[in-house]
Amino acid sequence: MVRHTRYVLLLPGLVTFVFFLIAPLAIMAVMSFFTPVWPGYRTDLTLNNYVAYLTSPQFRILAFNTFSTSLVTAFICMIIGFPFAYCYTFKIKSERTRNYITMLLLAPFLIDWTIRSVAWISILGERGFVNSMFLSAGLISEPIKFLFTPTALFIIWVQTNLLFMIFPMNLALGRMDPEVIEAAKVLKAPPYRVFYDIVFKMALPGVICGFIFVFVNTISDYVTPSLWAGGLQTLGLSVSNYASQFLWPQASAGGMILLVACIIVLYILLKVVDIKKLVYE
Amino acid sequence: MKKMDLLAKVYILVIFLAIYLPTIFLIVLSFNTSARITFPIEGFTSDWYFGEPKSYQANPSYIPIIHDQFFWDSVFNSIRVSGITAVLTCIIVTLTALTMRYRLIGRDVLFYMFLLGFITPGVLVGLGTILLFRLLGSTITEFNMIALNTVYASSFGFILMMARFDPYLMLYEYTASALKVGPVRVFRYITLPLIKWEVLSSAIMGFLLSWGELIRNLWVARGTGVVSTFVFMQLTVYPLTTKWFAAGSILAAVSIVGLIIMATVLSRGTK
Repeated sequence: MVRHTRYVLLLPGLVTFVFFLIAPLAIMAVMSFFTPVWPGYRTDLTLNNYVAYLTSPQFRILAFNTFSTSLVTAFICMIIGFPFAYCYTFKIKSERTRNYITMLLLAPFLIDWTIRSVAWISILGERGFVNSMFLSAGLISEPIKFLFTPTALFIIWVQTNLLFMIFPMNLALGRMDPEVIEAAKVLKAPPYRVFYDIVFKMALPGVICGFIFVFVNTISDYVTPSLWAGGLQTLGLSVSNYASQFLWPQASAGGMILLVACIIVLYILLKVVDIKKLVYE
Repeated sequence: MKKMDLLAKVYILVIFLAIYLPTIFLIVLSFNTSARITFPIEGFTSDWYFGEPKSYQANPSYIPIIHDQFFWDSVFNSIRVSGITAVLTCIIVTLTALTMRYRLIGRDVLFYMFLLGFITPGVLVGLGTILLFRLLGSTITEFNMIALNTVYASSFGFILMMARFDPYLMLYEYTASALKVGPVRVFRYITLPLIKWEVLSSAIMGFLLSWGELIRNLWVARGTGVVSTFVFMQLTVYPLTTKWFAAGSILAAVSIVGLIIMATVLSRGTK
């Protein structure tokens, strides 16, 4: 490939990303320093939006809710997803079966998000499947409240995001030579060392990649916590609330705080493993 | 060993059941005679799918799904938006991924820009787009939805596609170039056949992510919108009825059949 042609091939992606990602974020960054006046803003620069956000008594609660729920969900997905990805990669020998499994994993994601979420009412509701089973088995005397609690949030998020954890794990495990595992076994390595020192460490870029996918997906989602976790307040929801009142500078400041926090979490995760190794090295 | 294999298969089955659990309930309960979501079903009817609309059914939550023109408009909008997103994602991801294999000036900067595409929460991209278009004095259209979804899907697609490239791909290309084969022929006869499944995967990824995206689409949706925004808006205004389970069941059935056909096509010639 001729050298300058390579740069031309990057243009479609570059233009799309600059105009629809970098430019909106840059505008938002500038807007976050403007003085709010209702409805709208004045272009006098101020740090007050950030100060008000960071010093508000609500901020700690919002930040805690946002990050704790997303991190816990990503962690649960990792625990459930890793054995699945391992079994899928090493225990399913037929490529045809693997193709069907992959495609069937995707099907529930084509059902609308809202409809898929409300389906949980029939499972977790007070008159839903789980409570009906427990009541009829005599295990409980009164229905357990699952819906509108953090439990419901985690169940819905894990079910929705598991695929985003499994796919990158499959990629990382798929690149592993199964003979390496056999070699370790021949050398009488105990199973936990084979798992941790070989399988897990070699799959780590995929695990981190999946962790980031799930973390980012859930941190973006302010609708599910507000609907299914009893109105749980998150940073995303507060940004959305400010924006719906046309308080653009406050919304932008909240958004920038959320973005910086995401970048910090990502930075820490990328310190554990270099994701570039999974991608182009 | 056989015990472990069996255990692995059981685990895969359990995870499948967990993923499909809401879908199973959607389908079963969509035939409930009651408008309320109750378990077990009170009686069997297909009226939520094909029933005749009654004159008193002014509330859209009670109109059988086949007669809900707005729902079908949103489905066709979704197919159009997701289809275009899939094509754009496929083009951007393929071109970028093929180019980024080489040591280019600013490659890492570009890589982190792509990474930024998926670490940026949807609420920020939506808000930023609104602010940008207000500043430019432009109207938000369906194109914005396609663009936002393309950025998001391209980031995912790019990382997943590059990770799957054949490690010998560049060697084959260099060999062909050394034999004085032109770059277009190298791409057509060497590169494309070796990356065709990755190209297809990126298109599927673009379609799926665009179809399921709610947060980004909520900010820029206008009119009927797409399925995700339409159903969400309907359920914030009108009560939840069995009709929406019927809608979900239709989408599930079409998706499962479509994906099984795709798996069959992909599996041709494999064991």
